[in-house]
Parts: sequence; C-alpha cells; structure tokens
Amino acid sequence: MAGADVIPDPMEITLVIAKIGLVLLVILTLAAYLVFAERRILAWIQDRKGPNRVGPFGLLQPLADLIKLLTKEDFCPPAGDRWLFFLAPAMAAIPAIMTFAIVPFGAPVRIFGRDLPMQVADLHVGLLLFMALSSIAVYGVALGGWASNSKYALLGSLRGLAQLISYELSMGLSLVPTVMLARSFRLSDIVAAQEGGWFILYQPMAFAIFLVSILAECKRIPFDLPEAEGELVAGFHTEYSGMRFGLFFVGEYINILVLGGLAATFFLGGWQGPLLPGLLWFWGKVLAFAFLFIWIRGTLPRLRYDQLMHLGWKVLTPMALVNILATAWWLYLAGSSPL
Amino acid sequence: MRVIDDMTAILTGLWTTWKHILRRPVTIQYPEEKRIPSPRYRARIILTRDPDGGERCVACYLCSAACPVDCISMQAEEGEGGRRRAAWFRINFSRCIFCGFCAEACPTMAIQMTPDYEICRRDVMDLVFEKEDLLVEHCGKDPEYNFYRHAGIGVTQPRGEGEGEKPTVDVRGLMP
Amino acid sequence: MPKLIIDDIAVEAAEGVSVLEAAKSVGITIPHFCWHPALGRAGACRVCAVKLLDGPVKGIQMSCMLPAQEGMVVSTTDPEAVALRRQVIEWLMINHPHDCPVCDEGGECQLQDFTIACGHGTRRFVGPKRTHVNQELGPYISHEMNRCIQCYRCVRFYQEYAGGSDFGVMGSAGKVYYGRFESGQLESPFSGNLVDICPTGVFTDKTARFRARYWDYDMAPSVCPGCSVGCNITPVARYRELLKIVARRNDMVNGWFICDRGRFAPKGVNAPSRPRTSLVDGVKTGREEAMDALLRRLGEVAELYGEGSIAVVGSTRLSQEGATLLPLLAESISAGALSYGLSAAESRASSGAISMLTLENGASIADVENADCIAIYESDLREEGPMLLLAVRQAWRRGAPVLLVGENSPLEQVRGVGIEAVQLHYMEEAPLAIFERPVVIAGMRHGDPRVMAVLDRSGARVACLFPGPNGHGAALLCAEHGGIPLEEALAKGKVKGLVAVEADIPAELLAGVPFVASLDWRETAAVQAASVVIPTAAWVECDGTYVNFEGRAQRFSRVMKPGLPIKELDPACHPPRIHQGDPPGGDILPSWQVMIEMIRLAGEKVPDGPFSGSWANLTSLDPEGEGEVIRGRCRRDS
Repeated sequence: MAGADVIPDPMEITLVIAKIGLVLLVILTLAAYLVFAERRILAWIQDRKGPNRVGPFGLLQPLADLIKLLTKEDFCPPAGDRWLFFLAPAMAAIPAIMTFAIVPFGAPVRIFGRDLPMQVADLHVGLLLFMALSSIAVYGVALGGWASNSKYALLGSLRGLAQLISYELSMGLSLVPTVMLARSFRLSDIVAAQEGGWFILYQPMAFAIFLVSILAECKRIPFDLPEAEGELVAGFHTEYSGMRFGLFFVGEYINILVLGGLAATFFLGGWQGPLLPGLLWFWGKVLAFAFLFIWIRGTLPRLRYDQLMHLGWKVLTPMALVNILATAWWLYLAGSSPL
Repeated sequence: MRVIDDMTAILTGLWTTWKHILRRPVTIQYPEEKRIPSPRYRARIILTRDPDGGERCVACYLCSAACPVDCISMQAEEGEGGRRRAAWFRINFSRCIFCGFCAEACPTMAIQMTPDYEICRRDVMDLVFEKEDLLVEHCGKDPEYNFYRHAGIGVTQPRGEGEGEKPTVDVRGLMP
Repeated sequence: MPKLIIDDIAVEAAEGVSVLEAAKSVGITIPHFCWHPALGRAGACRVCAVKLLDGPVKGIQMSCMLPAQEGMVVSTTDPEAVALRRQVIEWLMINHPHDCPVCDEGGECQLQDFTIACGHGTRRFVGPKRTHVNQELGPYISHEMNRCIQCYRCVRFYQEYAGGSDFGVMGSAGKVYYGRFESGQLESPFSGNLVDICPTGVFTDKTARFRARYWDYDMAPSVCPGCSVGCNITPVARYRELLKIVARRNDMVNGWFICDRGRFAPKGVNAPSRPRTSLVDGVKTGREEAMDALLRRLGEVAELYGEGSIAVVGSTRLSQEGATLLPLLAESISAGALSYGLSAAESRASSGAISMLTLENGASIADVENADCIAIYESDLREEGPMLLLAVRQAWRRGAPVLLVGENSPLEQVRGVGIEAVQLHYMEEAPLAIFERPVVIAGMRHGDPRVMAVLDRSGARVACLFPGPNGHGAALLCAEHGGIPLEEALAKGKVKGLVAVEADIPAELLAGVPFVASLDWRETAAVQAASVVIPTAAWVECDGTYVNFEGRAQRFSRVMKPGLPIKELDPACHPPRIHQGDPPGGDILPSWQVMIEMIRLAGEKVPDGPFSGSWANLTSLDPEGEGEVIRGRCRRDS
C-alpha cells in the first residue's frame, strides 16, 4: 500500500481513522455482548436460563452491567501501590485492543477509487508485533496483583506471570511453521498464502498447539489459575472493583476476540471463504472460536499448577519444536513451492 | 493409549455439555411463576390454636432451648383457669435458620412451620415477630390435638375426666 | 471398712454405708427416688436395683437397702438389673400425667432424668391413669398429686426430720395420697424443703410458678442474708429478676435444707421502689456527681458544726467487704463516729460474745445436731436462726434434752418442730456440767452480756446468734476499730451529718440530724430522709462475704447483673427490641466499691481491695467451699 517514503494524503488518514473508530466500536460492542453470550451459554449448559431480565431476552444486560461498574466505588487498598494499581487494568486492556490493528478482517474493498485493505495497519512484521504486544499484556496481571498488596492477588499474579511466559513460548513456536509456509510475517501475506488451502490442513499439529496456547494466554478455563476463584478468591484482580475490574474483565473478552481472529488468520484462511463476503467469513470464524472458548469453559475443570507447567514445557513446547523441524524437512523435500 | 483416552474424555465432556445446551432449562421464573412447596416445607413459623380455640403454646421453653441460633425468647405466665401461656413470645426471623427443631421439640403441637417462604422485609426489625404476629386462628397440621385434654391437670375439663383418666381418688374411702 | 467391687471398680466403703452410696462415692449413679442423703432409705421406689454377682448375698437387690459388705461383686449394668429398672420405671410412670410442658419441675426433675437413664421411652400401658384432687397448701407451695410416684420423701422429711404434724400420707395401694387433712397453709417453718426434696413436680414453688426453666436460670453459689446462720443457697434469677431460692448443700452449715423464711421471704431485690439511680436532693444525677456533692456537703457540715460532727454508720447486713472498708471511709472524711449497729444493748451483747468465743468453745450446726443437751438462752429461734431449730430437733431425736432459758425463749418455737422442752429462768439453773457435749444457743437480741462469762465457764459449746447475716463480722470490726452504737453517738448530740451505708436507721433516730446521706439498695428510712442517695448492688448482684454466727466467713457470688428487670421496663408489652449493652439502672457498684471511689475522691490512699492486713486471708475464699472459721480472733489479739 502506501510506501514509507510517500507522504500520505489527508483522504488516506481520514480513512485510517475511520477504520480505527469502526474497529474499536465493533470490538468493544462485541466484547460486551460476548460477556452476555457467555452467561447465557453457560446457563444453557447448566440447564438454566441466564440473564433474561434487562430488555428483550436480556439484551440490555451489558448496558446494565456497564452502569453498575461505572457507578461502583473506585477503591484502592490502603496499603497498595496507588499508581500501579490504577495503571494495571489499562496495561491489560490496551495491548489486547492494539493487537487488532494488524488483523485483516475482510477482503480489500475499492472505495473512492482506491484499494482499501480491511486492516488498520498491514505491517510487514505483523506477527512479531502480535508477539510483542502479548508479552506486554503480562504486565497488567503482574502489576495488578503486586500493587494490590494482598496475598491472594500476589499469588494470582505470580501464577499468571509463570503461565503467560510459559505458554507464549509454545504459542510463538507453533506459529513458526505458518511463517515458513507463507514465507512472510505480514498477516495479509499469510492470508493470501492460504488461498489454495487453509494452513490447518497442512499444520493440524501447529493449530492444536496454538489453540491450547491461546486458551492459556487468555487465562481461560481450564487455564484460569491466575484467578482460580476456588483457591484465590479472584486471583490477581481480587482487590479491584468498579470500572477498573471492568477493564480487566473486558480485556479478557477482547483477548478472546483478538486471539480468535488471529487463529482464523493463521490457520483458517482469515477472511477467505466461498460464496459469502470476506467480512462475514472472518467474523463468523471469530465468533466460532469465541463459542468454542465458552463451551470449553462450561465443560472442563481447572488444571493443577504442576499439570499446567507439565503441559506447557514438557508437551507443547517440544511438540512445537518437532513440528518446526518436520515442516522444515518437508519444505526441503518439496522444494521451493510446496503449496 | 493414554493420549487417546484423554482426548476421548475431553470430547465426551464437550458432547455432554453440548447436549445440555439444547435441553430445556429447569429455571422457574420466580416472581411470575411460583412453585407450590410441600405442606411439610419449613418456612415461616406460626403458633397454632387447639380445636377449642385456646392457645396451644404453654410457654414451656423447649423450643427456645432447642433453637440452635437462639432466635426464640418468651416469658411464661399463668393465664385464666390455670393455663400456662406466654406473656410474650418472640421469634427473630432475621436469625432463624428454619431448621424446624422448635416444631419438633414442641410438646403441644403449638409451634409449626408453614410453607410461606416469602417473609422478606425492608427493615430488619420487621423480621422480629411478636406473639400477635405468630398466633394464627387455626389448628395447623394437627386439627384434633389438645394438650390439656391429655395432661390431667384439669384446665379444659374437670380433673379425672380427661381422656384415659380414672375419676379422682377418694382419699377418705376405705375400699382397697 | 468393707471392700467391694462395683462395675469392676474396687470400692472401700465406710462402715454401714449402703451399696448405693458406695457406688456414688466412685461416681456411679444408680437411679433412686426414695433414698436421700439426709433422709436415708425407705425401699419404696424399687428403682435402684443392682445385681450381686458374688459375695454374701447374690441376685437382684435394692442397692439403697443393702449395706456394703466385704467381698461383694456388684453389677449395675447386668442385663437383668437393667431390665428390672426399666420395668420398675415403666410402672412408676403408668399414672404419671406426662404434663412436663406445664410443670415447673421440668428440666430439673429427677423423674425425667432417671426415666431416661433407666431406658423407658415409650408408654406401652393403655389403661387409664389414676388422678387426684389437689390441695391448696398456701401461698408458697403448689400441690399436683397426679405427678406423684409414692417415694415417701416428703412425708419422711416433714414428719420425721422437721417434726411437722399437719402433713402426712393417706390411703393405700394405688390411692396413696400425700397431703393435709384439708386444704390450708403448711405449718412447718421448713415446708419449703418439700419443693427441693420431691423428685418430681408434686410440690413446686408457687412464688416462681411458670416463670422460667432450669437451663435459662441465672444461678450462682450464694449465702442467705436472712439471719446470722448463713445457710448456703442458690438464688435463681431470670431477666434480672430474682425468681426463687433453692437450698445448696454445705454439710458444715445447713446440710441440705433451708428454712421457709430464707426461701420465701419477700425478695426486696425485685422491689420497684428500690433506689437505682443516684439522687441529690431528689434529683437524678450520675454517680460521680453524687459523690462530689456528698463530699462537698460533708465538708460544709464539718465547717459549720466543727470537727467530729459526722458519723459513718454500717450495719450487720453490710457485707464483710463493705464493713472492712467502713473505717477507712470514716477516716477519709474525718468522721467523728463509726458505728456498726444501732442498739446499745445488742452491741454490748455482741461484743461480749466475740470476746468470749474461741475456736474451741464455738458451736457449729453440726455440734448442735450432735449435742447431748441443748439450752436455748433468751432466744426465739424462729426469728434469730430457724435452721438451728431443725438442728435442735435432730439432737432431740437422738435423745438430747432441750432447755429454754429466760423469758424471751418461748415454748411455741419448739412446738413447730414437734419437740418437747423444759423452761428455766436463769442460765445458772441449767445442769450443763452433767452432759458430755452440751451446747448453748444464745440470742444477742435480748441476751445479757454478763451471762457470757457464765457460758465461758460452763464448758459448753456456745452458738451466739448475732443480729443480721454479717453480725459476727461487724462485731469483730467494731471491736477492732472502736465503733460505738449509733444510739450512743446520737445521744451525745454532736452528730450533725450522717453517712448510712446499707444501714436500717429508723426515721425517729434521723430526725435530729440535719444532713443524711445513704448508700443502699433497699428503700429504707435513711434513703427516704437522705439528701444524697447512691444506690449499691444487692447481695445477688455482687460478690461478697458474710461471717455467720459461728464465725465462718462464706463467700457469695454474683447471680445476676444489676439493672431494671425486663418485666419492669414495660410491664404491659414486650421487652425492648433495641439491643443495649447495659440495662437501664444497671450502672450500680457494690457498696465496697462505692466506698473505694469515695476514698479516692476524698484524696486519700486507695486500698487495693476490700481485704488487707489481718483480713487478707479472706480474699481467696471459695464460694463453693465450706467457708473459713475466723472466730476467736479478738480473744487471741487481747
């Protein structure tokens, strides 16, 4: 698209800002309704009805939750580190939102006589940016727990740190074969490389590792050890209330959407699909991942801490390494254009 | 293979929960839709009357002794005709755990539990029920029973004329 | 000392003791109704069956009737004995009306306990129950014959132990009836013990009828304030109201029983007119302000009338704690006179008594019971110490002659306990010297102090009946600190300010005193006349000590918190709903603590506690113990 040496024209800037606004709006609304959807689906799994009181079918529940969270007391533990305490929720939510900048969420459209990619920023190191941002998200958990000055929060954040660092490794390694197949870090290139066949077909093992790793990255059941309400009250966000808790909470759901989008991009052909427009295909895949996450939450129990570490270090990481070697071997045998 | 077994276990779990998603919820929409509890349901406590309309409660203090949370207090006094009755009788429903020990301990069937579970109040002091709040105008679950007909102390009938009693002994009689 | 084995436990029983008592001595309770430690056995209830496996007798035996003998092997748990006890209790219960919910004995009923203990739970007998007509036995005891199980305890106590003649047993077989020939108040001054002694609810305390249950009682070991005998009692309170009084066993003092006066006398503790707030000129104030006002006005009195115009007056009902602090209070406010009593005659008699009494020549109730001759000198025991009358009867039952000496020893007093006595005019006429264990009971109310010397020489043990529950202690302190009776102090005309500490001073004595202050829990004439009133805690509301007639210091414990009874807060309606830490009128201190506060306010050195110096050994008295005999200390000192 626009080269680095070309001064972008105002039209382009306007379009980019419009895209950012649109993405923010969609992501935040979806995240809010994902909370609602999770509560309803979990209720169905448990033969209940779920929230159905606010508005028709309970559809205004997210709004009610928002009002409740906003009007609650903004409390900081007296012995806590005030600044870090207030900073941590933002550190958790912002990287999650920022990651979406690199996700191509639809086929490029032609508007005002120019090709407009459905992607906020098509970086040529997009995959690396995603890895970097997911590492920053660790700070939200770590600082939130530490600044609370509470034993439960500290234990939760310690667990969170160990878990996120461990699973980031297997997540990153599971993406290497994708890059090897697409021969690019650029996400639009990865999507384009899957025109002939989704990478899930070539790399089912990498997909499986990536799926388990992003579950752990989201701190979702069965990997919710940092929160572990049965053991640590609420883990790293025990001391949070009101909208600061809300930021942690929303951050988790944005993470689901973002990681679902990335999983779709890396393994399921991104926005590509027959008959239907690219936007629908992409968002359909994202929501399917979201449903899978909720479904798993309604099914599986929490892992023990040693089981978590065992799975990460002794199963997923070696498997990902073997998978890289196997892919390299296969690429070597198949020659320059395997696909 | 352990891995296969584990995977099957996870997938079986997912299949089970999937089936439940499609099942009809068991939820009852409470304020609109109400469940009718069994007559033996243990909720709001009442003080019943005997078939003759007298208070069954003799303020024997057994319910307050049985109460594990000490929510019952009373003061006994002598009423008309030698009846023993409660001068005041108080149940603090904000403490009551509806265990039913009081009703079980009651020797005169006076204190009984009803299925009326809707006893929330805005002010916690309104949950302290006094005797006049507890006393009802019916016999509750044992419509026939009247303690004083069996107790032989001559309150509802002259001494020696109650159920299963011989006429009073004539201490001056010479017959063996 | 026969040795026997009961339930695999080796027991060494005293000579002549029954198997039941031997078992009791090692903590094995065999159910029993007719046997009572003070009355012995009757063999009437048949519920104490045990099986003898080996020894001089074998098979099922009644353990209360069977003296413990060498080599017995007793089983209380043998199936045969257990079955017999269960069957016996079952037929004891066939006529019982099962009216426990309306019975005041419920919860403290031996019949309930032993029915459960014997394993009888469900009534199998379907026949009708026999019923009885009750009698009206006066204002103190209610009668409910339907509950009777014919153990004969009541009549054995009433006729044999207490010598009453108006109550007995009538009829036979299933018609046995315990009562009087016709309704009417029981005449014996010890009839209240029927309530304690009845194992079930035939006799219950009418004054506490339908008031509370055993598990709700506020109870503590206490001492009766009725007279100088100092019987051990357990007052029973509920909702800050004294309900009734029950006898408490102390073999060194009253044994198992108390008199009706101690049990049923009006309970002033509950009186609505009792002072419960401090008053200055009839206006309610706080305690601190009242004390300030009291000290200020005493200062004004001293300024106006000169030094020594103030008198501090205690009494014989003031606890030993208060009585010991009284001299310190007098010193701190520069009082000119200290008195522990009003009457000069009584005071002389008391001081004569304490200077005569020694550890050896003082008589306890046990000495009276074991005496072989008893002389009652110038005393009506019905007034001065009813329980001694019961002890005199026990001595008389063993053959001791009873002599009534002096014109103030009426013959009617011994008729109440069914004994005969000889009346004499002078102490010197009594032939005490020919007996081995003679005891003289001397009243202080009319006694002549000169006779004390006669008694001292006679070789008899002497029981001096001091006025009031702490008369002996007050007399000791009076001698120690040079107190004078109030009559004498007032006669000199110098007393213009008077501080009465729990003192019952008649209005005519107070008439000439311009300033009166009173520390009391009773509404006495002094309280009514006082400009400054500071309420004190009644005996059931605080710990304290009384020294009884024989010089036995006994500690009593707090039974209930001071404060308005719930009944009085709102008699028509329900008790208050709002929780309060301290009840209204509950900010009351015992008199000795009030005195310490006053000494502090007066700027004097405050003692650590009520007892110091030679009295310090009273600090560690055990309320459940036998007490400590301190008589004769005056004589030792001099």
